[in-house]
Amino acid sequence: MENKELEEKLIEEIEREEKIEIDEKLKEKIKREIKEKYKKEFERLKKEKEKKEKEKKIKEEEYFIRFSLNVRLQHLFLAIGVLILIFTGLPIKFHEAGWAKMFLKIMGGIQVSRVLHRIGASILIFVSFWHMFYILFTKEGRREFWELLPRIKDFKDFFQNIRYFLGLTKEKPKFGRFSYIEKFDYWAVYWGMVIMVSTGSILWFHNFFLGILPKFVIDIAKEAHSDEAMLATLAIVIWHWYNAHFNPEVFPFNPTIFTGKISKERMLKEHPLEYEKIIKEKEIKK
Amino acid sequence: MSLLLVFIFILQAPLEEDRRCLLCHGKKDFGIVEDGKFKSLYVSYEELKNSVHKKFLCQQCHNDVRVIPHLIKPKKIHCLQCHFEGNVVGAPTEKKPEKYKESIHEKGKREGKKVPECMDCHGIHNVRAPEDSLSSVYKKNVPSTCGKCHVNQREEYEISIHWQGINKGIMGSAVCNDCHREHDVLPPEDPRSSLNPRNVIKTCEKCHANVELMKKTGVPVKQVEAYKESFHGIALEFGVLKAANCTSCHEYHKILPQRDPRSPIHPDNLPKTCGKCHPNASQNVAKGRIHVLPQEKESGIIFYVYNFFKIFTFLVITGLIIHILLDLYGRLRRRKHGE
Repeated sequence: MENKELEEKLIEEIEREEKIEIDEKLKEKIKREIKEKYKKEFERLKKEKEKKEKEKKIKEEEYFIRFSLNVRLQHLFLAIGVLILIFTGLPIKFHEAGWAKMFLKIMGGIQVSRVLHRIGASILIFVSFWHMFYILFTKEGRREFWELLPRIKDFKDFFQNIRYFLGLTKEKPKFGRFSYIEKFDYWAVYWGMVIMVSTGSILWFHNFFLGILPKFVIDIAKEAHSDEAMLATLAIVIWHWYNAHFNPEVFPFNPTIFTGKISKERMLKEHPLEYEKIIKEKEIKK
Repeated sequence: MSLLLVFIFILQAPLEEDRRCLLCHGKKDFGIVEDGKFKSLYVSYEELKNSVHKKFLCQQCHNDVRVIPHLIKPKKIHCLQCHFEGNVVGAPTEKKPEKYKESIHEKGKREGKKVPECMDCHGIHNVRAPEDSLSSVYKKNVPSTCGKCHVNQREEYEISIHWQGINKGIMGSAVCNDCHREHDVLPPEDPRSSLNPRNVIKTCEKCHANVELMKKTGVPVKQVEAYKESFHGIALEFGVLKAANCTSCHEYHKILPQRDPRSPIHPDNLPKTCGKCHPNASQNVAKGRIHVLPQEKESGIIFYVYNFFKIFTFLVITGLIIHILLDLYGRLRRRKHGE
């Protein structure tokens, strides 16, 4: 409607200024041309607006770097090692079960699986040394380790979280860089590593250890290796997978440990104290 | 009256028939010279009538003797002419005599070696049932029967605790055929052999997992079960034949208990026994039990390690599951209340 009025007006103006009369045919032509020009102009404006909005959105969704490449690679190696060990170890523990027999057959027999198990063990031992060097000799590693040490706040957080689950309090505990859940996961690996690597080494180099250790120590090593393997597997499948995969918050999986990135939204939700700290540090720097 | 006489005559007939054979074969010095050697052809009728074949006539086995006296040399008789599965004369087949055809003895025969045949173990005219204490295959007599040829093995066996058991009257104790089987005797290299590494566990298990028998002998009954759970047992189960099996440590014929200083499993001999495969084995291998089942209290510290992990795992995993369930409950509750 507006366009038509505008067109009429324009044509009238031209007629007045030039003091000529434009015939209907020409009028139509001019109208059409004007119409097209407007159309193009509107479309251009629309596109520009969309583009600006998009940029704005990206700027708003701020990301933080949660894990360095070093940590991400440590986790990757650890995960590969542990998976190999579980797949080659459990069929030995449950050797009487049909699935274990089938699994060993698929892998190419016990002679293949034991070599694979030792490859997995080598990866695990390699990662444990890597991590030791990381927390001893790098500044980043020392800071991360410091953050992972259990504190009284973790116990308070734990009890508050339980009360929050039960609806006894509306306030969710505010976690720092690592929640007590993550700390538990970390220290469980520590405990597991110590037991599995020490007992596993006795079993691996049994011919050497038979000369040093009494038979019953080797039997203890075997028993502890087998039992701790079960505990670790259950902890990974139940606890770690729930927190990192099946938790409705992150389902189907939390990519942070592989990408290293965490969104501001999740940062505020899951690690509010760390977020505050980072913002404060930024302001001081400014 | 005459019918009855006929009947008596028929009943008497076998004896009459045999008596005709015994006219010659009943004389102790009856024989022929064959290849320059005297060969006795005497048959003790007493023995025959005390054997399991007492109701049979001579000619029922020697069925190529048609007329008596016979002028041709009768052929060797074949026991399998009666002793086959499904026979109608009542010959026992539960020990599967046909299996002899698969045995190493039969193989040797085909190669022309001097090997035992049926009669070498069971006797000729004096065949008695295995339950008969005068039988050559009566349990107590088996070692001397096999030992006629296998002299060294018999000597070794007679040192063993198995033989000691037999002598003490524990008839469940093992003799040759309990491990080697009787008719289908095969060398351990043969995968079908009861003593092939693949099968040896099952063979020992027949008796050593028998609670009643082991109670009688005072031998722990769960040794085989514990072995199966060991690395040796698992490796063997999945086809690593070089893994130690029962006989690798306990020997074969002269199996002796741990308390006997001659035994390879005596604590003083263990380093040498284990050292066969594990070069560094020292006196340490004697410190602790060998066949360990962590579920058993006798396993000592391993039992406590096992139980510690059992309880610890239960507590940790239960705790984690409760935490997860509470988390999920909280989410559900908050969604319901629209928080």
